[in-house]
Amino acid sequence: MAVEVILPRVDMDMATGKMGRWFVAEGERVAKGQLLFEIETDKAAMDIDAPAAGLLRGVCAQAGDILPVGSVVGWIVAPGEVFVVPVSAPQAGPTARASPAAAASQDEPTREAPGEGVRATPMARRLARECGAVLSEIVGSGPNGRVQARDIPARSGAFDLQARQRRAETPRQGGLHRLWLRQGEGAPLVFLHGFGADLNGWRPLLGHIRSRRPVLALDLPGHGQSPHSGEADLESLVEASAATLAQEQVSAAHLVGHSLGGAVASALAERRGFRALSLALIAPAGLGPAINGAFLAGFLQAGDEASLALWMRLLVTDAAALGPALVKTTLRQRAEAGVADAQRQIAQGLFPESAQAFSVRESLARLQCPAKIIFGGRDAIIAPDHAAGLPGLIAQHVFAGVGHLPHLEARREVARLIDELVAAGG
Amino acid sequence: MPKSKTASAGQPPIAPSGANRPPVYSRLSPEAIREALRRMHRIRRFEESAEDAYVRGLSYGTMHLSIGQEASAVGVCVALKDSDYITSTHRGHGHCIAKGAEVGRMFAEFLGKETGYCKGRGGSMHIADPAMGNLGANGIVGGGMPIAVGAALSAKKRQSGAVAVSFFGDGANNEGAFHESLNIASVWKLPVIFVCENNQYAMSMSTERSTAVKNVADRAAAYAMPGVIVDGNDFAAVAEATFVAAERARRGDGPTLIESKTYRTRGHSRSDRNRYRSKEEIESWRLRDPILLYEAEIEALGLATGAEIVAIRAEVEAEIVAGVAFATASKAPSPDEVTRYVYATDPA
Amino acid sequence: MNQTTRELTYAQAIQEALAIAMAADERVFLMGEDIGVYGGAFQVTGDLVERFGEDRVMDTPISELGGAGVAIGAALTGMRPVYEFQFSDFSMLAMEQIVNQAAKLRYMLGGAVNVPVVFRMPTGSGLGGAAQHSQSIEAWFAHVPGLKVVAPSTPHDVKGMLLAAIADPDPVLIFEHKLLYKVKGPVPAGHYTVPLDKAQLRRPGRDLTIVATSIMSARAVEAAAILMGEGVEAEVIDLRALRPIDRPAVIASVKKTNRLLCVYEGVKTLGIGAEISAAIAESDAFDYLDAPILRLGGAEAPIPYSPGLEMAAVPQVGDIVAAARKLAGGRA
Repeated sequence: MAVEVILPRVDMDMATGKMGRWFVAEGERVAKGQLLFEIETDKAAMDIDAPAAGLLRGVCAQAGDILPVGSVVGWIVAPGEVFVVPVSAPQAGPTARASPAAAASQDEPTREAPGEGVRATPMARRLARECGAVLSEIVGSGPNGRVQARDIPARSGAFDLQARQRRAETPRQGGLHRLWLRQGEGAPLVFLHGFGADLNGWRPLLGHIRSRRPVLALDLPGHGQSPHSGEADLESLVEASAATLAQEQVSAAHLVGHSLGGAVASALAERRGFRALSLALIAPAGLGPAINGAFLAGFLQAGDEASLALWMRLLVTDAAALGPALVKTTLRQRAEAGVADAQRQIAQGLFPESAQAFSVRESLARLQCPAKIIFGGRDAIIAPDHAAGLPGLIAQHVFAGVGHLPHLEARREVARLIDELVAAGG
Repeated sequence: MPKSKTASAGQPPIAPSGANRPPVYSRLSPEAIREALRRMHRIRRFEESAEDAYVRGLSYGTMHLSIGQEASAVGVCVALKDSDYITSTHRGHGHCIAKGAEVGRMFAEFLGKETGYCKGRGGSMHIADPAMGNLGANGIVGGGMPIAVGAALSAKKRQSGAVAVSFFGDGANNEGAFHESLNIASVWKLPVIFVCENNQYAMSMSTERSTAVKNVADRAAAYAMPGVIVDGNDFAAVAEATFVAAERARRGDGPTLIESKTYRTRGHSRSDRNRYRSKEEIESWRLRDPILLYEAEIEALGLATGAEIVAIRAEVEAEIVAGVAFATASKAPSPDEVTRYVYATDPA
Repeated sequence: MNQTTRELTYAQAIQEALAIAMAADERVFLMGEDIGVYGGAFQVTGDLVERFGEDRVMDTPISELGGAGVAIGAALTGMRPVYEFQFSDFSMLAMEQIVNQAAKLRYMLGGAVNVPVVFRMPTGSGLGGAAQHSQSIEAWFAHVPGLKVVAPSTPHDVKGMLLAAIADPDPVLIFEHKLLYKVKGPVPAGHYTVPLDKAQLRRPGRDLTIVATSIMSARAVEAAAILMGEGVEAEVIDLRALRPIDRPAVIASVKKTNRLLCVYEGVKTLGIGAEISAAIAESDAFDYLDAPILRLGGAEAPIPYSPGLEMAAVPQVGDIVAAARKLAGGRA
């Protein structure tokens, strides 16, 4: 059954979008989640992933075309499926409204769901709204690529206070929250996000990784959907991550870590019982003494979108790289009781007074597998020169005009480097 | 209205001695006789006022006037007690008033006010006064007939001695409900009186064109009950026939079908252009105005004086004026209460 | 089973209710075709005529319109009649009295009267009665303000609902599925009532909600047992009350399971399931729906005679299982 490829709405006030270039040609095979085309919005070019696997057919929009959101730009058909371009391509305009007035929950004002024009169940939309997920970035598992609740990272009950409290009470039974962002073959990639973020931060990068390996992403304790049971040092973060990987029966993987997640990945790489096949460290913590404490404090303290946006601006060189959804999501997550406290605790334990209270330099000195350290030259949080003095076998990459989020601001390049590591590590 | 001493058509003039005084007057007290006149005037004036309100655009919907049929309505009801039941037709204002309804509340209902008999929710075609045994006018032709039979069944079971009168028009006599009602009433020997006010037209359809038998009363035989034809404009005849039928019913001998031959001088409803009958026909019946006939008769029989008759007319006039004022001053029901009174179990 | 609860058939439960009501209240009496010496077309009234006499158990001529009207007139004037239509299909002859009179008299008269009449309706297909003796038209009546409409699916419920209906001051229509008459179930002795406006949870579950009416409730429970073996937990709600519908019960369930399947025997289009679907879609449960609302209803055809066709014309257990699988599997 042919799956529509539509021009999604990616900004709240977007009514039309300009087609950018296609990355896949008519008739070519494409994997679900693979980068398919770009669209140009007022803010920046946006990568759009394939909603299904199959052959790209019936391409009906070219770079430069300006179309209403929800317009069909092509189809993905199963190999061997007979496909005839519909005479009048159904213009799937924004079909669902934001939460209808009658169904709006009493405690929050109605908000336009991001990703209008995407097929998604009401429940999926609500969950996406609640966790700030962008529907157009989510690959739906339902008929016609419909996004269902199971596809939303914040699965039912995630922000349900009761559920979180239950999880907090039984910290290790379920392990950390994690998601297989992609199915595949071979040893998986494991992504570990940075302080104050969550596993969704990896999504923009994902589309550019060509490797067909499965991808597993974790939420660190006190972040995303993971519970927090007092972890406030590196060892306990590593312990929780390791236990979670064990539960997923992952004993060997390519590790990719950002910032604090990079430190976790570094320590994880030498844990007994786990085999790191390669290690990609993106603006990692744990290499040097200093960190931008003012940023951490301001970031944790910011109580509204405007102030948080100001602090998060420090993470990038180009403000446009930070979508409004990211700020919103971060704020919303933190608004959940427990998350703010957890993160404060972690910050206090790991980054007291603008210092990094831990080091992974020794772990890296002992590293056996292929590794790369990737910094942005204008990282305002952790200075790129922290990498100085590490073993020569660890490749070091610095992207000049990029800040603390190279996997966002230089995603293609970072993806390429990761692909190289995967190839090298096996 | 000019007084006329002409007696009912076909009847000999009343002898001064009252020797051929219609028997029904022996059953009625002087007060009852005067009250009957009062009610007939009340009906007439109510209908005329309602018509007036309508043509001025003051009322809503349509209405079905029974001007010219007053003797039929009052003649039947004078033989009934308050505890006896009636069901009526879409042309039911006369029956309601004949059964004791007051004009103020009727006007109010007519104007759709909360103070009306049906709190403004029923309107002209559904006026009822259950406290006085009036189970309601009905917008469905024949709709009230089985209900009257049911009321009779109930009376029989409760041994209350009550009878039920089912008013219906000539049009109803071709409805299935008519046949089923007469049959059941007869088979179960129920205390119901079927009163067909045959005004010869069901909307535009004359009985000649619609009904297989010449008289509706001819159908009584098919249901093994007496069929009685009376001149519907002759109060005494109608009343006497009803008394007889009521006695039969109360005795437990079952139903009766009375056909009251009458005429409506107005159209079926206000929308009626009267294309189906001639002006001459209408005019000839107008001369047989039942109220005039009744006034003449009771005066001739010495049962009421001219002065009393004039006084009754004046009383009724005052009632009408007061009733209209009451209705006009009353409030309409609130739109918030559109679903109020649907269920008895709803909070009051 | 304790002493005061024993197994009765659905038909026996009805008879027991009628007997209890008549014994307790002189105003209660029965009307219907062949309900006296014949015992009722489905042997529901049985020997009631011998126990209560012909005055209380009245055989009527074949005059549904007249008979229904008589019941209404009696109800208007102090009695509590229970009128049995031999087949719900025949109630069409009495539509005028049921819909224009019984449903509306109280309202048209501004609350001055009420009509405490009960109409019993043997309903549904499965006995080879074919098109004019097998319909499920409860939705028609559920569409009418002023009526109360129920469809009990167990012997326990039919007795309790009938007793509640007889006591209710408003007109109540009870739809009794013919295939249920011989079904046995536990029925407490003595007087009790079941509310006329509440659904009943038949089986809890968390993967999808099945809202079913009348005999479909039993089929849904069977389907749920099969689904359990596949790891799908279906929650079955027996709607029981069709006017009013117990919306809060359905809403609460859908908020829990996120998926809704409506199963009913009446023709699918514009049937009870259409109302349930719409009611849920416009309720608080909307944001909890993770799949389209599915309906299984009667085919768009008169009920056929040939047994295979007759079965194919209404939802069966297999249909319910298939739809539930699809729904729970995220493929709806």
